[in-house]
Amino acid sequence: MRVAIPIAAALALGAITARAERPADFEARFAAEARTADPAFAGFSAERGRAFFTNAHGGDWSCASCHRNDPSVVGEHIVTGKRIEPLAPSANAARFTRPASVAKWFQRNCNDVLQRACTAQEKGDVLAWLMTLPAKETR
Amino acid sequence: MNDRILVWDLPLRIFHWVLAASFAGAFLTAESERQRDLHLLLGYTFAGAIAFRLLWGLVGTQHARFSSLRFGPAAIARYLRSLLAGRPERHVGHGPIAVLMIPLLLGLGLVVAGSGWATYAEFGGEWMEEVHEIAAVAMLVAVVAHVLGVIAVSLLQRENLVLPLLSGRKAGAPGSGIRTSRPLVALLLVAALAALWLPGLAARERRLAARGTTAAVAVEVGGERANHGD
Ligand code: HEC
Repeated sequence: MRVAIPIAAALALGAITARAERPADFEARFAAEARTADPAFAGFSAERGRAFFTNAHGGDWSCASCHRNDPSVVGEHIVTGKRIEPLAPSANAARFTRPASVAKWFQRNCNDVLQRACTAQEKGDVLAWLMTLPAKETR
Repeated sequence: MNDRILVWDLPLRIFHWVLAASFAGAFLTAESERQRDLHLLLGYTFAGAIAFRLLWGLVGTQHARFSSLRFGPAAIARYLRSLLAGRPERHVGHGPIAVLMIPLLLGLGLVVAGSGWATYAEFGGEWMEEVHEIAAVAMLVAVVAHVLGVIAVSLLQRENLVLPLLSGRKAGAPGSGIRTSRPLVALLLVAALAALWLPGLAARERRLAARGTTAAVAVEVGGERANHGD
Protein backbone atom coordinates (compact mmCIF):
# COMPACT_ATOMS: atom_id res chain seq x y z
CA MET A 1 0.00 0.00 0.00
CA ARG A 2 2.72 2.41 0.99
CA VAL A 3 4.38 2.02 -2.39
CA ALA A 4 1.11 2.58 -4.25
CA ILE A 5 1.12 6.37 -3.82
CA PRO A 6 4.65 6.98 -5.16
CA ILE A 7 3.94 4.59 -8.01
CA ALA A 8 0.70 6.36 -8.86
CA ALA A 9 2.50 9.70 -8.65
CA ALA A 10 5.28 8.46 -10.91
CA LEU A 11 2.75 7.14 -13.42
CA ALA A 12 0.85 10.43 -13.36
CA LEU A 13 4.07 12.38 -13.83
CA GLY A 14 5.10 10.05 -16.65
CA ALA A 15 1.71 10.52 -18.26
CA ILE A 16 2.09 14.31 -18.11
CA THR A 17 5.64 14.48 -19.42
CA ALA A 18 5.20 11.78 -22.06
CA ARG A 19 1.63 12.69 -23.01
CA ALA A 20 0.94 11.65 -26.55
CA GLU A 21 -0.29 14.55 -28.63
CA ARG A 22 -1.86 14.73 -32.06
CA PRO A 23 -0.51 16.62 -35.08
CA ALA A 24 -3.29 19.20 -34.65
CA ASP A 25 -1.98 20.02 -31.15
CA PHE A 26 1.40 20.87 -32.65
CA GLU A 27 -0.22 22.96 -35.35
CA ALA A 28 -2.13 24.92 -32.71
CA ARG A 29 1.04 25.51 -30.70
CA PHE A 30 3.01 26.64 -33.76
CA ALA A 31 0.15 28.99 -34.66
CA ALA A 32 0.20 30.53 -31.17
CA GLU A 33 3.98 30.98 -31.38
CA ALA A 34 3.77 32.44 -34.88
CA ARG A 35 1.12 34.92 -33.74
CA THR A 36 3.32 36.03 -30.85
CA ALA A 37 6.27 36.49 -33.21
CA ASP A 38 4.21 38.35 -35.81
CA PRO A 39 0.78 39.84 -35.00
CA ALA A 40 0.02 39.89 -38.74
CA PHE A 41 0.26 36.07 -38.85
CA ALA A 42 -2.28 34.86 -41.43
CA GLY A 43 -2.31 31.09 -41.02
CA PHE A 44 -0.24 28.28 -42.45
CA SER A 45 0.10 27.30 -46.08
CA ALA A 46 0.68 23.72 -47.23
CA GLU A 47 2.08 25.02 -50.51
CA ARG A 48 4.62 27.19 -48.69
CA GLY A 49 5.45 24.18 -46.53
CA ARG A 50 6.14 22.01 -49.57
CA ALA A 51 8.36 24.69 -51.13
CA PHE A 52 10.24 25.12 -47.86
CA PHE A 53 10.72 21.38 -47.47
CA THR A 54 12.15 20.78 -50.93
CA ASN A 55 14.27 23.95 -51.10
CA ALA A 56 17.99 23.81 -50.27
CA HIS A 57 17.94 27.45 -49.05
CA GLY A 58 21.30 28.17 -50.64
CA GLY A 59 23.02 25.19 -48.99
CA ASP A 60 23.65 21.65 -50.17
CA TRP A 61 20.80 19.89 -48.35
CA SER A 62 17.05 20.24 -48.20
CA CYS A 63 14.66 18.46 -45.84
CA ALA A 64 13.94 16.22 -48.83
CA SER A 65 17.60 15.06 -48.89
CA CYS A 66 16.66 12.61 -46.14
CA HIS A 67 12.84 12.60 -46.09
CA ARG A 68 12.41 12.66 -49.91
CA ASN A 69 10.26 15.01 -51.98
CA ASP A 70 7.34 12.84 -50.92
CA PRO A 71 7.66 12.29 -47.15
CA SER A 72 4.72 9.90 -47.11
CA VAL A 73 7.16 7.19 -48.19
CA VAL A 74 10.21 5.78 -46.42
CA GLY A 75 13.26 8.06 -46.52
CA GLU A 76 16.99 7.44 -46.26
CA HIS A 77 19.60 9.27 -44.20
CA ILE A 78 21.92 11.00 -46.67
CA VAL A 79 25.00 10.38 -44.49
CA THR A 80 24.48 6.97 -42.90
CA GLY A 81 22.06 5.45 -45.41
CA LYS A 82 19.80 4.45 -42.53
CA ARG A 83 16.07 3.99 -43.16
CA ILE A 84 13.84 6.86 -41.98
CA GLU A 85 10.16 6.10 -41.46
CA PRO A 86 7.69 8.34 -43.35
CA LEU A 87 7.15 11.82 -41.89
CA ALA A 88 3.54 12.27 -42.99
CA PRO A 89 1.16 11.44 -40.11
CA SER A 90 -1.16 9.57 -42.48
CA ALA A 91 1.64 7.14 -43.30
CA ASN A 92 3.14 6.95 -39.83
CA ALA A 93 0.86 7.32 -36.80
CA ALA A 94 3.83 7.93 -34.49
CA ARG A 95 4.68 11.26 -36.16
CA PHE A 96 3.87 14.50 -34.36
CA THR A 97 2.79 12.72 -31.19
CA ARG A 98 5.89 13.26 -29.00
CA PRO A 99 6.79 16.88 -28.21
CA ALA A 100 10.37 16.08 -27.15
CA SER A 101 11.10 14.23 -30.37
CA VAL A 102 9.52 16.89 -32.59
CA ALA A 103 11.41 19.69 -30.83
CA LYS A 104 14.70 17.82 -30.93
CA TRP A 105 14.53 16.93 -34.61
CA PHE A 106 13.25 20.29 -35.82
CA GLN A 107 16.22 21.86 -34.03
CA ARG A 108 18.82 19.39 -35.34
CA ASN A 109 17.49 19.19 -38.88
CA CYS A 110 16.87 22.92 -39.31
CA ASN A 111 20.41 23.62 -38.11
CA ASP A 112 21.83 21.12 -40.59
CA VAL A 113 19.80 22.43 -43.54
CA LEU A 114 19.48 26.17 -42.80
CA GLN A 115 22.28 26.81 -40.28
CA ARG A 116 19.61 28.33 -38.05
CA ALA A 117 16.44 27.35 -36.16
CA CYS A 118 13.16 27.16 -38.09
CA THR A 119 10.54 29.76 -37.23
CA ALA A 120 7.11 28.74 -35.92
CA GLN A 121 5.70 29.89 -39.27
CA GLU A 122 8.02 27.53 -41.15
CA LYS A 123 7.35 24.58 -38.85
CA GLY A 124 3.62 25.16 -39.11
CA ASP A 125 3.76 25.42 -42.91
CA VAL A 126 5.68 22.14 -43.14
CA LEU A 127 3.28 20.41 -40.76
CA ALA A 128 0.28 21.78 -42.66
CA TRP A 129 1.70 20.29 -45.85
CA LEU A 130 2.58 16.94 -44.21
CA MET A 131 -1.00 16.71 -42.90
CA THR A 132 -2.39 17.02 -46.43
CA LEU A 133 -0.32 14.09 -47.75
CA PRO A 134 -2.31 10.92 -48.26
CA ALA A 135 -0.88 7.60 -47.06
CA LYS A 136 0.95 5.73 -49.80
CA GLU A 137 2.01 2.74 -47.81
CA THR A 138 -0.34 0.18 -46.38
CA ARG A 139 1.55 -1.10 -43.41
CA MET B 1 65.35 5.47 -6.93
CA ASN B 2 65.88 7.81 -9.85
CA ASP B 3 66.22 5.17 -12.52
CA ARG B 4 63.79 5.52 -15.39
CA ILE B 5 61.84 2.30 -15.26
CA LEU B 6 59.15 1.06 -17.65
CA VAL B 7 55.73 1.29 -15.96
CA TRP B 8 52.98 1.61 -18.58
CA ASP B 9 53.01 -0.89 -21.43
CA LEU B 10 52.41 0.30 -24.99
CA PRO B 11 48.86 -1.12 -25.43
CA LEU B 12 47.79 0.67 -22.24
CA ARG B 13 49.20 3.97 -23.50
CA ILE B 14 47.51 3.55 -26.87
CA PHE B 15 44.25 2.68 -25.10
CA HIS B 16 44.42 5.80 -22.95
CA TRP B 17 44.84 8.27 -25.80
CA VAL B 18 42.43 6.47 -28.11
CA LEU B 19 39.78 6.61 -25.39
CA ALA B 20 40.45 10.30 -24.75
CA ALA B 21 40.45 11.21 -28.45
CA SER B 22 37.35 9.16 -29.31
CA PHE B 23 35.42 10.66 -26.38
CA ALA B 24 36.36 14.21 -27.35
CA GLY B 25 35.62 13.51 -31.01
CA ALA B 26 32.26 11.94 -30.25
CA PHE B 27 31.30 15.01 -28.20
CA LEU B 28 32.26 17.33 -31.05
CA THR B 29 30.27 15.34 -33.63
CA ALA B 30 27.15 14.88 -31.50
CA GLU B 31 25.12 17.89 -32.59
CA SER B 32 24.88 17.49 -36.35
CA GLU B 33 23.56 14.82 -38.69
CA ARG B 34 26.36 15.82 -41.06
CA GLN B 35 28.85 14.06 -38.81
CA ARG B 36 26.62 11.17 -37.82
CA ASP B 37 28.90 8.63 -39.56
CA LEU B 38 31.99 9.98 -37.77
CA HIS B 39 30.10 9.97 -34.47
CA LEU B 40 29.31 6.27 -35.00
CA LEU B 41 32.92 5.43 -35.91
CA LEU B 42 34.17 7.30 -32.84
CA GLY B 43 31.58 5.49 -30.72
CA TYR B 44 32.71 2.06 -31.94
CA THR B 45 36.32 3.08 -31.30
CA PHE B 46 35.41 4.23 -27.80
CA ALA B 47 33.49 1.00 -27.05
CA GLY B 48 36.31 -1.12 -28.46
CA ALA B 49 38.87 0.74 -26.33
CA ILE B 50 36.85 0.06 -23.17
CA ALA B 51 36.43 -3.61 -24.08
CA PHE B 52 40.18 -3.85 -24.59
CA ARG B 53 40.86 -2.16 -21.24
CA LEU B 54 38.61 -4.61 -19.39
CA LEU B 55 40.50 -7.51 -20.96
CA TRP B 56 43.88 -5.86 -20.35
CA GLY B 57 42.96 -5.37 -16.70
CA LEU B 58 42.93 -9.15 -16.44
CA VAL B 59 45.83 -10.20 -18.69
CA GLY B 60 47.96 -7.06 -19.10
CA THR B 61 51.30 -6.22 -17.49
CA GLN B 62 51.63 -5.71 -13.75
CA HIS B 63 50.55 -2.05 -13.42
CA ALA B 64 47.78 -2.41 -16.01
CA ARG B 65 46.04 -5.18 -14.07
CA PHE B 66 43.01 -4.45 -11.93
CA SER B 67 44.65 -6.59 -9.28
CA SER B 68 47.13 -3.71 -8.80
CA LEU B 69 44.22 -1.58 -7.58
CA ARG B 70 43.99 -3.10 -4.12
CA PHE B 71 43.46 0.05 -2.09
CA GLY B 72 40.89 0.21 0.70
CA PRO B 73 39.25 3.32 2.16
CA ALA B 74 42.07 3.62 4.70
CA ALA B 75 44.71 3.69 1.97
CA ILE B 76 42.73 6.32 0.05
CA ALA B 77 42.36 8.47 3.16
CA ARG B 78 46.06 8.15 3.98
CA TYR B 79 46.99 9.12 0.42
CA LEU B 80 44.70 12.18 0.46
CA ARG B 81 46.17 13.26 3.80
CA SER B 82 49.69 12.90 2.39
CA LEU B 83 48.70 15.09 -0.57
CA LEU B 84 47.23 17.76 1.67
CA ALA B 85 50.28 17.69 3.92
CA GLY B 86 52.44 18.36 0.85
CA ARG B 87 54.39 15.12 1.34
CA PRO B 88 52.71 12.95 -1.27
CA GLU B 89 53.07 9.22 -1.09
CA ARG B 90 54.58 7.88 -4.28
CA HIS B 91 53.13 4.98 -6.20
CA VAL B 92 54.92 3.46 -9.18
CA GLY B 93 51.73 2.36 -10.95
CA HIS B 94 48.23 3.59 -10.12
CA GLY B 95 47.74 5.55 -6.92
CA PRO B 96 44.84 4.89 -4.53
CA ILE B 97 42.50 7.42 -6.22
CA ALA B 98 42.59 5.29 -9.36
CA VAL B 99 40.52 2.73 -7.48
CA LEU B 100 37.65 5.24 -7.66
CA MET B 101 38.43 6.92 -10.98
CA ILE B 102 39.01 3.87 -13.19
CA PRO B 103 35.72 2.09 -12.39
CA LEU B 104 33.88 5.43 -12.60
CA LEU B 105 35.26 6.31 -16.04
CA LEU B 106 35.01 2.80 -17.47
CA GLY B 107 31.53 2.28 -15.97
CA LEU B 108 30.20 5.57 -17.36
CA GLY B 109 31.90 4.77 -20.65
CA LEU B 110 30.06 1.45 -20.85
CA VAL B 111 26.74 3.20 -20.24
CA VAL B 112 27.52 5.87 -22.85
CA ALA B 113 28.58 3.33 -25.47
CA GLY B 114 25.76 0.87 -24.72
CA SER B 115 23.02 3.51 -24.74
CA GLY B 116 24.44 5.11 -27.87
CA TRP B 117 24.42 1.84 -29.70
CA ALA B 118 20.91 1.04 -28.46
CA THR B 119 19.67 4.46 -29.58
CA TYR B 120 21.02 3.91 -33.07
CA ALA B 121 19.57 0.39 -33.19
CA GLU B 122 16.26 1.89 -31.96
CA PHE B 123 16.01 -0.11 -28.79
CA GLY B 124 14.29 1.76 -26.03
CA GLY B 125 13.44 4.97 -27.84
CA GLU B 126 13.51 8.41 -26.28
CA TRP B 127 14.52 7.44 -22.75
CA MET B 128 17.52 5.60 -24.20
CA GLU B 129 18.62 8.82 -25.94
CA GLU B 130 18.15 10.58 -22.64
CA VAL B 131 20.39 8.02 -20.88
CA HIS B 132 23.00 8.47 -23.62
CA GLU B 133 23.09 12.24 -23.25
CA ILE B 134 23.05 12.29 -19.45
CA ALA B 135 25.74 9.60 -19.16
CA ALA B 136 27.93 11.44 -21.70
CA VAL B 137 27.68 14.69 -19.75
CA ALA B 138 28.36 12.81 -16.48
CA MET B 139 31.43 11.30 -18.10
CA LEU B 140 32.58 14.73 -19.29
CA VAL B 141 32.35 15.93 -15.68
CA ALA B 142 34.35 12.87 -14.55
CA VAL B 143 36.95 13.50 -17.27
CA VAL B 144 37.34 17.13 -16.19
CA ALA B 145 37.75 15.97 -12.58
CA HIS B 146 40.29 13.39 -13.77
CA VAL B 147 42.33 15.98 -15.66
CA LEU B 148 42.23 18.50 -12.80
CA GLY B 149 43.20 15.73 -10.38
CA VAL B 150 46.18 14.72 -12.50
CA ILE B 151 47.33 18.34 -12.74
CA ALA B 152 46.93 18.84 -8.99
CA VAL B 153 48.77 15.64 -8.08
CA SER B 154 51.51 16.39 -10.62
CA LEU B 155 52.08 19.78 -9.00
CA LEU B 156 51.93 18.50 -5.42
CA GLN B 157 54.17 15.56 -6.21
CA ARG B 158 56.49 17.64 -8.45
CA GLU B 159 56.32 14.86 -10.99
CA ASN B 160 54.77 15.08 -14.45
CA LEU B 161 52.23 12.24 -14.53
CA VAL B 162 51.22 12.81 -18.16
CA LEU B 163 54.61 12.25 -19.78
CA PRO B 164 54.85 8.60 -18.64
CA LEU B 165 51.58 7.97 -20.50
CA LEU B 166 53.52 8.77 -23.67
CA SER B 167 56.97 7.38 -22.88
CA GLY B 168 55.87 4.59 -20.56
CA ARG B 169 58.72 5.51 -18.20
CA LYS B 170 58.83 6.94 -14.72
CA ALA B 171 61.37 7.41 -11.96
CA GLY B 172 61.24 4.44 -9.64
CA ALA B 173 63.09 1.70 -7.88
CA PRO B 174 64.66 -0.79 -10.27
CA GLY B 175 62.69 -4.00 -10.17
CA SER B 176 59.30 -2.29 -9.62
CA GLY B 177 58.87 -1.78 -13.38
CA ILE B 178 57.67 -4.13 -16.10
CA ARG B 179 59.96 -6.05 -18.41
CA THR B 180 58.21 -5.63 -21.75
CA SER B 181 55.96 -3.01 -23.26
CA ARG B 182 54.10 -5.73 -25.23
CA PRO B 183 54.72 -4.34 -28.75
CA LEU B 184 52.92 -7.24 -30.46
CA VAL B 185 49.63 -6.54 -28.66
CA ALA B 186 50.12 -2.86 -29.49
CA LEU B 187 50.48 -3.78 -33.14
CA LEU B 188 47.26 -5.82 -33.00
CA LEU B 189 45.51 -2.85 -31.43
CA VAL B 190 46.69 -0.52 -34.19
CA ALA B 191 45.65 -3.09 -36.81
CA ALA B 192 42.15 -3.28 -35.28
CA LEU B 193 41.89 0.52 -35.35
CA ALA B 194 42.99 0.60 -38.99
CA ALA B 195 40.48 -2.13 -39.87
CA LEU B 196 37.69 0.03 -38.45
CA TRP B 197 38.79 3.46 -39.69
CA LEU B 198 40.14 2.87 -43.18
CA PRO B 199 36.92 1.36 -44.60
CA GLY B 200 34.86 3.82 -42.53
CA LEU B 201 36.65 6.86 -43.92
CA ALA B 202 36.64 5.41 -47.45
CA ALA B 203 32.86 4.98 -47.24
CA ARG B 204 32.54 8.58 -46.04
CA GLU B 205 34.63 9.80 -48.99
CA ARG B 206 32.47 7.84 -51.42
CA ARG B 207 29.30 9.28 -49.96
CA LEU B 208 30.65 12.84 -50.02
CA ALA B 209 31.60 12.40 -53.68
CA ALA B 210 28.17 10.97 -54.53
CA ARG B 211 26.48 13.76 -52.61
CA GLY B 212 28.06 16.33 -54.88
CA THR B 213 25.71 15.21 -57.63
CA THR B 214 22.55 14.75 -55.53
CA ALA B 215 23.12 18.14 -53.89
CA ALA B 216 23.25 19.81 -57.28
CA VAL B 217 19.91 18.22 -58.19
CA ALA B 218 18.40 19.25 -54.86
CA VAL B 219 19.47 22.87 -55.35
CA GLU B 220 18.03 22.88 -58.85
CA VAL B 221 14.73 21.42 -57.72
CA GLY B 222 14.69 23.76 -54.73
CA GLY B 223 15.32 26.82 -56.88
CA GLU B 224 12.56 25.87 -59.26
CA ARG B 225 10.12 25.35 -56.41
CA ALA B 226 11.08 28.66 -54.86
CA ASN B 227 10.26 30.44 -58.12
CA HIS B 228 6.85 28.79 -58.17
CA GLY B 229 6.22 30.10 -54.67
CA ASP B 230 6.80 33.72 -55.71
C1 HEC C 1 20.42 14.43 -42.61
C2 HEC C 1 19.11 13.85 -42.77
C3 HEC C 1 17.90 14.69 -42.44
C4 HEC C 1 17.56 15.91 -42.98
C5 HEC C 1 18.30 16.73 -44.03
C6 HEC C 1 16.32 16.28 -42.36
N1 HEC C 1 15.92 15.32 -41.47
FE1 HEC C 1 14.26 15.33 -40.33
N2 HEC C 1 14.85 13.61 -39.41
C7 HEC C 1 15.98 12.91 -39.69
C8 HEC C 1 16.15 11.83 -38.76
C9 HEC C 1 17.31 10.83 -38.71
C10 HEC C 1 15.05 11.91 -37.88
C11 HEC C 1 14.78 11.01 -36.66
C12 HEC C 1 14.52 9.61 -36.96
C13 HEC C 1 13.07 9.33 -37.11
O1 HEC C 1 12.26 9.93 -36.37
O2 HEC C 1 12.72 8.52 -37.97
C14 HEC C 1 14.24 13.02 -38.33
C15 HEC C 1 13.06 13.40 -37.73
C16 HEC C 1 12.33 14.52 -38.09
C17 HEC C 1 11.14 14.96 -37.39
C18 HEC C 1 10.54 14.27 -36.18
C19 HEC C 1 9.09 13.93 -36.28
C20 HEC C 1 8.58 13.28 -35.04
O3 HEC C 1 7.38 13.16 -34.92
O4 HEC C 1 9.36 12.87 -34.19
C21 HEC C 1 10.74 16.11 -38.01
C22 HEC C 1 9.55 16.99 -37.65
C23 HEC C 1 11.68 16.38 -39.08
N3 HEC C 1 12.61 15.40 -39.11
C24 HEC C 1 11.60 17.47 -39.94
C25 HEC C 1 12.61 17.84 -40.82
C26 HEC C 1 12.65 19.12 -41.52
C27 HEC C 1 11.60 20.21 -41.42
C28 HEC C 1 13.78 19.12 -42.26
C29 HEC C 1 14.33 20.26 -43.11
C30 HEC C 1 14.60 21.51 -42.42
C31 HEC C 1 14.46 17.84 -42.03
N4 HEC C 1 13.72 17.11 -41.15
C32 HEC C 1 15.65 17.47 -42.63
C33 HEC C 1 16.88 13.18 -40.71
C34 HEC C 1 16.87 14.34 -41.49
